[in-house]
Amino acid sequence: MRISRRTFAAAAVAVVLVPLSACGSGGDDGGSADASGKVEGNITFQTWNLRANFKDYFEGLVADFEKKYPGTDVKWVDQPAEGYADKISADAAGGTLPDVVNVSPDLVAPLAKAGLALDLDKAAPQYRKEYLEGAWASHEIPGMTGTYAFPWYLNTGPLFYNKSLFEKAGLDPDQPPKTYDEVFSAALQIAQKTDGEVATLANVPTIEDFGRYGVPLMNKEGTGFTFNDAKGVELLTKYKELYDAKALDPQALTATPESSGKKFLTEAVAMNPGSALDLGNFKKQAPHLYNNIGITDQITSTGHVNMYVMGVMVNAQTKQKPAAVAFAHYVTDAAHQMSFAKQVAIFPSTAGSLDDPYFTKEDGTDETRVRVAAAESLKNAVNYTPVLFSEQMKVELRNAVARALQGKESPKEALDNAVKACDRLLQQQG
Amino acid sequence: MASPAVSRVRRQLPSSPWLFAAPGLIVIGAFVLYPFVSTLVNAFTDRRTLVPGEFVGLANFRELLHDDMFWIGLRNSTLYVLGVVPALVILPLLLALLVQKSIPGITFFRSAFYTPVVASIVVVGLIWVWLLDERGLVNALLETVGVGRIGFLSDQWLLLLSAMAVTVWKGLGYYMIIYLAALGNVPRELHEAAAVDGAGAVRRFLTVTVPAVRSTMVLVAALSSVAAFKVFSEVYLMAGPAGGPAGEDTTLVMLVQRTGTGLTGRVGYASAISVVVFVVTVVLMLLVLRADRREER
Repeated sequence: MRISRRTFAAAAVAVVLVPLSACGSGGDDGGSADASGKVEGNITFQTWNLRANFKDYFEGLVADFEKKYPGTDVKWVDQPAEGYADKISADAAGGTLPDVVNVSPDLVAPLAKAGLALDLDKAAPQYRKEYLEGAWASHEIPGMTGTYAFPWYLNTGPLFYNKSLFEKAGLDPDQPPKTYDEVFSAALQIAQKTDGEVATLANVPTIEDFGRYGVPLMNKEGTGFTFNDAKGVELLTKYKELYDAKALDPQALTATPESSGKKFLTEAVAMNPGSALDLGNFKKQAPHLYNNIGITDQITSTGHVNMYVMGVMVNAQTKQKPAAVAFAHYVTDAAHQMSFAKQVAIFPSTAGSLDDPYFTKEDGTDETRVRVAAAESLKNAVNYTPVLFSEQMKVELRNAVARALQGKESPKEALDNAVKACDRLLQQQG
Repeated sequence: MASPAVSRVRRQLPSSPWLFAAPGLIVIGAFVLYPFVSTLVNAFTDRRTLVPGEFVGLANFRELLHDDMFWIGLRNSTLYVLGVVPALVILPLLLALLVQKSIPGITFFRSAFYTPVVASIVVVGLIWVWLLDERGLVNALLETVGVGRIGFLSDQWLLLLSAMAVTVWKGLGYYMIIYLAALGNVPRELHEAAAVDGAGAVRRFLTVTVPAVRSTMVLVAALSSVAAFKVFSEVYLMAGPAGGPAGEDTTLVMLVQRTGTGLTGRVGYASAISVVVFVVTVVLMLLVLRADRREER
């Protein structure tokens, strides 16, 4: 049979294009929620930048699980912090999402909406009582019923301040500010005394700042943002005063957590949020700062600090549902969260764990002081980041804040525009 | 002469050129053609990362017209071309003239000028961020000489200029090599004849060197204008993911990345922006080629 050139070319194009055209988005088939059955089979578990420091812990965890459930084989993969959401997006769109995935609440929301996250209220309701109520609720999605990930570890960073800079500005280094109003007043004093050389804050306010200032972030139905109310405008107006007085670092508009951390290290900025891990860094890289370091709670005007929640999600389309649910629970149960908390400064989300002496008794070191204080504040902490607040929305808010600080828009106009843009993005998310 | 059996086999096989070209075609098909066609199709849909989307006609393009950030991106990408291309057409030529000379130690300078080309853009970006920081080396020097600190990384225009400077600095070596090859083909006799006629160095440069390397200059202009319009890394690293204060330094490709990626990415809308980038890039190439033809006439 003779094959014409045209036919051959068409076939070649088809060979290239047809398989690729199958690379579409994940469907909306959430799969059966039934997770009962024998725990067996091969599953993949993906973590978020944990291999470098906790390789032994996770290898031990996987080996123990496989020993407890013969016939299971867990493949552990770890992804770098940078671009984690993009990696999950690509996997979700390509139908290659791992069976068990380390996620944060904002990552769970779109996956749940696309039918890719297993509803644990249906698949594993028996585990609910093992976790702190607030932590379990952090993976509920407004507008949907169900809970879409096991809560894993919690964190809330302390706020570090430079006692020496406070003292030079005539402030009592042992009485750090606790509320936003106290921070604003201290910041203006430091800027005035140092002629604008030392700023107190290095970052523009984020959605969590609005939350801790007492601004309502979303309506009850979860269908619209509300951070442009009078309280929100008040917060932004005060930040504008700080920016004009150089009490907020002039480079705050383009700052990243890394750049503001560096400014705190070089003593160009008087206060910076962080974690207990930072103390070792201060000791090594900035001994002068370390000798003058002050540690206080996160600034809040609501009485609640912000907590960050990590979760472990089960892929709704996994072929090994019983094994995936069992493993996700195994990683996040009280015993394993406690043992992970002893490896690194994180806090368990399981009920009663924070009452362990490890989180309640100080031994005189800064590390335990930070740990005990953080554990105490976590008991009534709030996750102020709205689950539906996407990366694009963060950019919209950040840009609006910057326009207000630069004086291009009034705080009211800027926040109205930000809410409008975020509401539009929310509608587009479906 | 081939045997009848061999001739029969030859007749039955598809053209052998296609077989030889197949590996290349498959790679181009998979990594160029398919993404290109897919982007074109997506531009007319409301596709999102996890939702296939539906055909929406020109809705994405109509939305672009009312999107302030799109116009900011278009402005910045255009300014980038206007700022970077003249520098990348002229400076590497002057540099090539300098390092073309055979003097002791010139190899060191040639290598030194080429080093930024092979350096990672991330490393280069971070180094420049440290240098231009409010308390960085450059500001420390400016303060020493009494100029005072300049907000290279906090002012939207200075940020864009700083990013342009990094692009030019990093690209000098690459285009210098292209010019060096072209300069090697300029007949020495022309320079000698011009010198005998009394032409000085500047006159010889303008009347001998420039006409001789004009086609290379067009090539450099075309290559650098396309690269400049698609700028991403330098601005992203120096202005941050938000694109500078209030996003005022966002370029079109940054906007594509910001809009189209992540779990809630608007793939359809980002594809529409990509189509605009493609069209403008083609127009830029045509403009450069047209300018060249007009010069020739």
